[in-house]
Amino acid sequence: MAEEHLDDVYRYLLYVTGNPHLAEDLASQTFERALKRWRRFDPSRGSTRTWLCQLARSTALDHFRTEQRRRRREDVYAAEPAASDEPVFGEGLSPTLDAAVRSLSASEREVVVLRVVLELDGELTARVLGIRPTAVSTRLQRALQKLEKRMVSDVRG
Amino acid sequence: MSEAKFESILRELRETAPLAPERLRDRVRALPEPGARRSWRLRPALAAAVAIAVAVGIGAAAIGGLTGGRHQPQSLTSQRAPGMQRGLHQNPATPAPEDKRAYSYQSGAFLSPMVPSRSRLQNYAVSMTLRVRDLSSATKSAVGTTRKLDGYVANADYSASSSAGVSILELRVPVQRVQQAIASFTNMGTILSQRIAIVDLQASVDRLDRRVEAARKIVSELSGRTNLTSDEQARLEAAKQTVGRLSLSRTRLVREGAYAKISLSLTTRKPAAKHVTPGRFDRFWGVAGDILGKEAIILLYALVVAGPFVLIAALALLTERTRRRRADSRLLQEAG
Repeated sequence: MAEEHLDDVYRYLLYVTGNPHLAEDLASQTFERALKRWRRFDPSRGSTRTWLCQLARSTALDHFRTEQRRRRREDVYAAEPAASDEPVFGEGLSPTLDAAVRSLSASEREVVVLRVVLELDGELTARVLGIRPTAVSTRLQRALQKLEKRMVSDVRG
Repeated sequence: MSEAKFESILRELRETAPLAPERLRDRVRALPEPGARRSWRLRPALAAAVAIAVAVGIGAAAIGGLTGGRHQPQSLTSQRAPGMQRGLHQNPATPAPEDKRAYSYQSGAFLSPMVPSRSRLQNYAVSMTLRVRDLSSATKSAVGTTRKLDGYVANADYSASSSAGVSILELRVPVQRVQQAIASFTNMGTILSQRIAIVDLQASVDRLDRRVEAARKIVSELSGRTNLTSDEQARLEAAKQTVGRLSLSRTRLVREGAYAKISLSLTTRKPAAKHVTPGRFDRFWGVAGDILGKEAIILLYALVVAGPFVLIAALALLTERTRRRRADSRLLQEAG
């Protein structure tokens, strides 16, 4: 189960966090959670992949909440992704596209990764995100338009 | 941006999708194997609950219906008329309500053992319930018959409505003509119930006679004397009083025995459905139905009681989910 879906979970977390090291940690935590909750998993309510994506999302959100609390407490931004020339969202990805993806918000990136990279359909994506399929379409549309604008402006610049 | 360019961006995103690093693979591989999944599902659980409820119903029915004793049907005649608790009760087996002939005076089968004694003084009480078609004319007829037989109406209560009417008559008929009265009333309608009670008064009268005789002896003995002592004077007065008191009681008893009390209820009400003793399987299904019905009532009651709380909890849950979703969305926006 872990081997089969590891790449998908990692990709999702990488897109949501924009940080490979953090994505790695969160992916590991996701599989630990999955292991603990495996007995409660009901395949009739969705595939293992969808369930793992949901777990990965809640793991990421828990991390963001903790970070938010920590930031409020310390008033510093400690977890800024390191600036690097290496593409974050995929080996061989053009720097322009990588930068454009990075400019999107986490919620926009997660809909892109689920619909475009992991190729989940609208229904499953909606289930992972806990929203309606129409909301998924709207969010994806907006994200892609934003991506397009960013690409065009980068090409012109 | 052209469609082709756009497609190429999406293709690039897919093709260059990152792979999980080897380090992560090792970490995940190091995790222990998951145990067997617990398959709790709502629908099978509900189906099992329903099956258990039905099984309990049928099981109880099997115990209570198939092995239980027959229900004794309640008949109207089992209810004793007021004032008939003491003395000699004669309550012959009551035939089916519609079987008028069984009660018929002419047949003699029912009334002959109940003929009042000519040699002994008796308190004769009859209680009858008849279903009649015309309440008014039946009441008039009963009163007329009573008067014809030298009796009288002690009490009458007549009430009629659009659906049903009831007339209750307390009649007094000379004991020697009571059979005639009963026969006449029987012909007025269908007998729903009938009860005859006889209390022997002769023994009481004989006892009173003996006591009166003894007191009279004392009176005649003491009255013959000229000089009575104060004690003797007191005895004489007491004996005289006893004679008077006991004579009055005797008169009352004799009057009581002279007239039969007839409590006649006339009604236009339809008879209750004929009671059919259920068979073994009818009882089985009846008991099963009762138990399942009770289970349904308990379930409904629980739903009615718990319903508002469940609704409030569901609303609270929904609100919390919406709030959490919005908070998550905000968090992801900020995290970007």
